[in-house]
Amino acid sequence: MDRDVDVAPPLSESPAHGRTPSAAHSDGSGGPRVAVRVASHALIAGLPVAVLGVVAIVLGPEISAGLDSRAVAAWRTVFTAIVIQGVPFLLLGTLVSAAISAFVPAWVFTRVLPRNPALAVPVAGVAGAVLPGCECASVPVAGSLMRRGVTPAAALAFLLSAPAINPIVLMATYVAFPGNPWMVAARLVASLLTSVVMGWLWLRLGREEWLRAPKGPTGHTAGASRAEEFRVSLQHDFLHAGGFLVVGAAAAATFNVTVPHSVLRLFSDSVWWSLPMLGMLAVVLAVCSEADAFVAASLTGFSPSARLAFMVVGPMVDLKLIALQSGTFGRAFALRFSSATWVVAVLSSALVGWWLL
Amino acid sequence: MKRNVQVLLLLFTGVGLLHISLLTDLYLRYVRSGLRPALIASGVLLIVLGAVSAARDGFPFNRPRTDDDHGGHHGGGHDHSQGPRIAWLLYIPALTILFLAPPALGSYTAARDEAKAKAPTAGDSLFSALPRSGIVELSLNDFSSRAVWDTDGTLKGHTVRLTGFVTPGRHGTWYVSRLAISCCAADATVRKVRVHGAAAPPADAWVTVTGTWHPTGKVGTDDASPALDATSVKRVPAPKDPYNDAVATRPGR
Repeated sequence: MDRDVDVAPPLSESPAHGRTPSAAHSDGSGGPRVAVRVASHALIAGLPVAVLGVVAIVLGPEISAGLDSRAVAAWRTVFTAIVIQGVPFLLLGTLVSAAISAFVPAWVFTRVLPRNPALAVPVAGVAGAVLPGCECASVPVAGSLMRRGVTPAAALAFLLSAPAINPIVLMATYVAFPGNPWMVAARLVASLLTSVVMGWLWLRLGREEWLRAPKGPTGHTAGASRAEEFRVSLQHDFLHAGGFLVVGAAAAATFNVTVPHSVLRLFSDSVWWSLPMLGMLAVVLAVCSEADAFVAASLTGFSPSARLAFMVVGPMVDLKLIALQSGTFGRAFALRFSSATWVVAVLSSALVGWWLL
Repeated sequence: MKRNVQVLLLLFTGVGLLHISLLTDLYLRYVRSGLRPALIASGVLLIVLGAVSAARDGFPFNRPRTDDDHGGHHGGGHDHSQGPRIAWLLYIPALTILFLAPPALGSYTAARDEAKAKAPTAGDSLFSALPRSGIVELSLNDFSSRAVWDTDGTLKGHTVRLTGFVTPGRHGTWYVSRLAISCCAADATVRKVRVHGAAAPPADAWVTVTGTWHPTGKVGTDDASPALDATSVKRVPAPKDPYNDAVATRPGR
């Protein structure tokens, strides 16, 4: 199997990389001890790979057959798809956030953003337009903004607006609703409105203790270079957020595979029910914000306002985002903030939909 | 999570991403083709990050070079050399795409949802006339739209050929179907055309069906549904990009 060949090089050459610094570092108590340590560590690191490789080779066909139950296969495909789709954007987000942590001095933000937090919120909301990508990217960036001393309300407004109003997403919306540019305008206005309102709500009602200060390896190690700091925080943030992305993807895939879409059509007749229904659908489907306009366009039979609600809620609240946020800001925060955002998003899409559509 | 395990995870994830995007076309089962450059870049970046970390942290020793703490050798209680525990979960997708890549979505998904033919947006004139002679190859999307919404009846009197996988219906009926994605497999939408006059091949087999339009319901309303009277059904190999429901070369264009 060629797959094992892919794995082998890092394993076989990495010890050679590592030996020099570590051996030099060791207390010099002799060759045998070092050899034993190398062997034991190589064993610890290599064992899971060897076991998994052997299992995959020997039992591969049987495992595949066992997983071949068609529902399980569909679940695995959707799960894998959400993770794979999310990884590049997550990586982009963690790159930006690590760069902010390591290279951008804190005074930049205090100078760019107005002193008054109530004014900083709308400015940060509009600034969301510059981060291209979907919602996976915005969580780590918002976390690093907070770490850099940006007022949480402004960072949260940025967190909500960035995945919804950036040019890529608005372009996708324009393509998905041909001949209906008002949908693009309504999405922009409703998303911005929601993020600004949520920022102000946080200023008014938010409590410091709900928000676990985003932690990470920011203990500016003495002697560590900027580049080293960048690498460590990139690695930490990516692995951390990646783990939560997996949790969110598993939850979203479960709903995607088990809940038939026809259930939702039951509510398409009622104007009042259809808004919260599509709002809920956006939460459980966890479609990436660059694609949700196409999904919304395919939901024929629902009122334009309900489809708008789907597109406004989707980038701000969904299962994978809740998982990511609880990883970065704590569960107490994620649950409160997400439910409040959901209500505000549905209300503002109702308002904007009634006004524009 | 110890540092050496983190390094391993980064390398696995990077190699896995390159495996599905650069070395094979497996990524097309999960995401749209436009994401390929991003996947390759991510894979390379993760491998570079893993390699740098391996060098800096003295892989496989789990001892960061910047760690000045001589007292505790294995850094058991040393907090910031320990990565996030949740990251263990990333091993699942990383190893999945390396060793046990799941198949593309198929008849299970297609059977669960109703097909919705896309209504034309600006009048029926959007349906161009089909070439008069020969067999016309159509995408399932094009055929469905014409069958449901085209009140001019441009499908009448034409022999068409459709390609898709088999989705069994109730009571021995079957459909030739496709799933279309706009970003990843989580947003797949169903396109299917019922086939009359031929026995059903096994589920998920890829086929080309040649036949003529089988009108059902009143065209131009939600009553109508796309269907075909088949004259021949031929098994074909599964396409590389299973979600791409576009006809590459259409005669007469």
